[in-house]
Amino acid sequence: MSDTITAAVTDKTAPTPAARAAHDASTREASAIAMQGLHKRFGRDTVALAGVDLAIRAGEFFTLLGPSGCGKTTLLRILAGLEEADDGRLLIGGRDVTDVPPHRRSVNTVFQSYALFPHLSVRENLDFGLKMRGVAPAERKARVARIAEFIQLGDLVERRVDQLSGGQRQRIALARALVCEPDVLLLDEPLSALDAGLRSQLQVELLRVQKRLGMTFVFVTHDQDEAMVMSDRIAVLNGGLIQQVGPPREVYEHPVNAFVARFMGHDNLYPVTGRCGDRLTTPLGELTAEAAGSGALLLIRPETLDLLPGDGAGTNHLPARVVERLYRGSHAEYRLAVGESTLQATVNNRGRHLPEVGDRVTVTVAPEDLVTLSE
Amino acid sequence: MRKRTLKRGLTAFWWLTLAFLYLPLAVVVLFSFNASNSAANFTDVSLRWYYRLLGNEEILSAFANSMVLAIVSSVVALVVGCLIGYGMYRHRHRKLGWLIVLIYLPIVLPDIVFGISEMAFFVQVHRLTGFLQPGLSTMIIAHVTFQIPFVALIVYSRFVGLDPTLFEAAKDLYATPIKRVVHFMLPTIKPALISAFFLSFTLSVDDFVISFFTAGPESATLPIYIWGAIKKGVSPEINAIATLMIGAVAVAAIVSLMFSRRRQA
Repeated sequence: MSDTITAAVTDKTAPTPAARAAHDASTREASAIAMQGLHKRFGRDTVALAGVDLAIRAGEFFTLLGPSGCGKTTLLRILAGLEEADDGRLLIGGRDVTDVPPHRRSVNTVFQSYALFPHLSVRENLDFGLKMRGVAPAERKARVARIAEFIQLGDLVERRVDQLSGGQRQRIALARALVCEPDVLLLDEPLSALDAGLRSQLQVELLRVQKRLGMTFVFVTHDQDEAMVMSDRIAVLNGGLIQQVGPPREVYEHPVNAFVARFMGHDNLYPVTGRCGDRLTTPLGELTAEAAGSGALLLIRPETLDLLPGDGAGTNHLPARVVERLYRGSHAEYRLAVGESTLQATVNNRGRHLPEVGDRVTVTVAPEDLVTLSE
Repeated sequence: MRKRTLKRGLTAFWWLTLAFLYLPLAVVVLFSFNASNSAANFTDVSLRWYYRLLGNEEILSAFANSMVLAIVSSVVALVVGCLIGYGMYRHRHRKLGWLIVLIYLPIVLPDIVFGISEMAFFVQVHRLTGFLQPGLSTMIIAHVTFQIPFVALIVYSRFVGLDPTLFEAAKDLYATPIKRVVHFMLPTIKPALISAFFLSFTLSVDDFVISFFTAGPESATLPIYIWGAIKKGVSPEINAIATLMIGAVAVAAIVSLMFSRRRQA
C-alpha cells in the first residue's frame, strides 16, 4: 500500500499496469466487504436497517445512495465500528469484524464535518492515526510527507486547522484517513459542505485518488448526480432496505421500482393498464415497447423523447402541447400535455427549431427505450 | 450637540464607576507604601511594612496556610470537577435537570450557611470517628466542595463546544480509550483546565467565611489572620498584606481569563 502511494506520487498519471496488478493481488482479499442480515434499531420505533445483505468488491468505488433517514449513514457507521448492529454479521477481507471496536479495524473515515483536531497542526492531524497505531517515528515522518505531496498540500502542513478553507480541510481530512493506508476508506458525504464549483473539482480529484490507489472506497451521499459520476456501483437504500444495487447506468436506465426511479430523478412514470404483446395501454395512449419487462409502471426517460413540429402519425407518435419550456443553453427541458397527462422531455440544442410554449407538437420515442418496473 | 453632551455624561459615568470600584483598593495600596503608621497622612514612600511582614511569624504561617489550602484544594477540585464535567457531557442527552441543580446549588448557597453546615458536619464526623479534626484538612475538603461546580461547568462547556465527531475521529484513527484521553481529550480541554485551576485558586484565596467556620486553631489563613488583627485596629501592615493579595488574585484572575478567551477562539 505504502509502495502504491509512492508509485502514484512519482508517476502522477496512472499506476503502471504491473504495479496495479501486484497491488490488486495483495489487497483483493483484504478489502472486500460482506454484510449479512444487518439490523439496526434506534429506540423502540426507529428502524434504521431492516436486514441489509450487501457485498462490496475489493478496489471498488461503492456508493450508498438514498434520502435522509434511509439508513445509509447508519450502515457506514457500522462499517466504521462507530455503531453496533443489533443483528447480522460484517466481514472485511473475510474476517468477521462485527464485534471489533473501531480502533482495531483497518478502516478509516472521512467525516462530513471533517473532524480535524483543533488542538493540533495539520501535520499533527495527519500523523495522529500513525502515532496511535505505534508506527516508528521515522516511518511516520516519511509517510506524512508522502501523503502531503500526494494530496498536494505541502505548504499547509505547519498551519493550524482554523486557518484553512473548507476545501483545504476536506483534503486534509482525506489525507489523514489515507495516510493510515486502511483496507477500506469510508466517506460520509464529504463534499456536501462545499460550494458547487469546488465540489465538482474535488469529485474528480477523489475519483483519481481512488483509481490510483485501487483502495476500496465506500461513499455515502444523497445526491444522485454525485453518485453516478463517482461510482463503480451504487446501492440505493430506502427505509433501511436495499432497493437496488448496480452500476450507475443500470440504476439510472433500469430502475427496479418507482422509488429508485423517482430518486434517480425520473418523473415520467405511468401505470400500464393493459398489455397485448408489445402493445402497452397507458394514460398517454397506446405505446409499442420492445423487451420492456412485465412491470406495472412505464418509465419514459426525458432524453429519449424527440419533438416533431405539428401533427404526425406512426409508431409511438403522440400528439402533445407545450406547457412550459426551460431553456438551459445546451438543452431545453419541456413540460408537455399529452391528453390528460404530463410528460417531461429534454431536447438537445443542436441549433434547430425549439418549439415554443403553446405549440402543438408530436412526441416520439423508440420502442427499445421504454422500460417497465414494479410499483 | 445634545448627543455629544450625552456621550460626555456617559464617559464621566464610566470613570465614576471605575473610581467607585478601584479607589478603595488604591487607598490600601498607597498606604501600604506609607513611611509613617498614620492612616490619614501619607508622609513618604517606604517598604518598611513589607519588611515588617517578612519578620512576622504569624503572617508567614497564615500565608503558607493560604497557599497550601489554595493549591491542594484547586488540584483536587480540578480532578473531581473535570470528571464530573465530562460525565455531564457524556450524558447530556438524558434528562439531568435535577443533577445540574445539585451541582449549581453550592454556587448560589450563602457562604455562611455553607460554612456552618460544613462545620456541623465535621464536628459530628470527628465526634463519631475521631477523624477530620478541624484544621487544614477540613478546610481543604470545604474548599473543594465549593470549587467543584465551577470546574465542572467550565470543563462541561468546553466539551459542549467541541464537534462531537472528534471523539469518533479519535476512535477511527486507532486511539484506544486511554490514548483518547491522553492524546485527544486532555490536550483539547487544556486551556479550560488551566482557566478552571486559576479560578479555583482565586476563589480559595478570597474565601473568608467558609474558611473561618472550618479552620482549626493552627490553620488560620491570611483572610482569617487579617480579620483577627483588624480587631486591634487597621495597621499599615494589613495594608501591605492586602496589597500583596490584590496582586496575587489579579494575576490568577488574568491568567484564568486569558485561557478562557483562548478556549473560545
